Amino acid sequence: MSIEVGTQIGELAVSLTRAQLVRYAGASTDFNPIHWSDRAASALGLEGVIAHGMLTLGTALRVVTDWVGDPAAVRRYSARFTHPVVVPDDDEGAEVRCVGTVTAVAEDSVTVTIEVTCGGQKVLGAVTAEVSREGLQ
Amino acid sequence: MSPPVQAGPTRWSTRVPLLRRLVLALLPPLNGVVPITADHVGRTYPPTAPYEVSAAKIAEFAAALGDPNPAYSGPAPVAPPTFAAVIGAAAWDGLFADPELDLSLQRVVHADQTFVWHRPLRTGDTVTGVLSIDKVRCRGAMEIVGVTVRMATLDGEPVVDSSSTFVHTRATS
Repeated sequence: MSIEVGTQIGELAVSLTRAQLVRYAGASTDFNPIHWSDRAASALGLEGVIAHGMLTLGTALRVVTDWVGDPAAVRRYSARFTHPVVVPDDDEGAEVRCVGTVTAVAEDSVTVTIEVTCGGQKVLGAVTAEVSREGLQ
Repeated sequence: MSPPVQAGPTRWSTRVPLLRRLVLALLPPLNGVVPITADHVGRTYPPTAPYEVSAAKIAEFAAALGDPNPAYSGPAPVAPPTFAAVIGAAAWDGLFADPELDLSLQRVVHADQTFVWHRPLRTGDTVTGVLSIDKVRCRGAMEIVGVTVRMATLDGEPVVDSSSTFVHTRATS
């Protein structure tokens, strides 16, 4: 596999629903009510219940882990939660789209930047992940 | 305002609350007193209770992410890269239970997040997290707080460092 700056590593579109938010709250133990109560979300000036930032980020990182295969290859990652993903109380939920591109190649690691949008709006900023090159050659 | 002459580390630390009271008395009133301030930078909490990573919890977490990666199942599963948030949440609980800071989880929005892995987290690992306050900035009713949770095995082997910034909006009564 040729890995160079600009290589697109993959893309993913996932619909986040209220049911998944409840499931993620339980699994992650993040029970902040802004992720399940419209009342609590409105009190903070949000349009409605929003997805956990870490759920959106965990979804985005699948682009990287699907690419490398072994999630243990991920050495660091970071992101800014720039815009909330509002999840409506319906069956469709909110579709999050993720596209990963190689932005740096070092001797033993590769850095990938992931663009994450929802309804055309960028929802995460500066999503980068550094992965070990072992297993990529 | 120039700080008073520092008499020595021990006396200085005992004088800080008095100084803060004095400063608060002299400043024009804001929207009430802001309980978390830059004075709390460096505060470190006791380690969280030991957390043993189980195959069942990894499977539950991967299912919540909707991620079918086979590395998360089988005989020796590895934890997803965001799994450490489970241990981080326990450390955050300690922060939100600190009566002096008067922070409320439901008034918090997560602003940014970085995880630096020293090694992967796997089934059977038992880890604890130690949270430190890195930065505090207050802007009106908004408090911007940066924390790091350092997670390590019971032997002290570093596993992952999780750094977060969150924005806390203080209720104005």
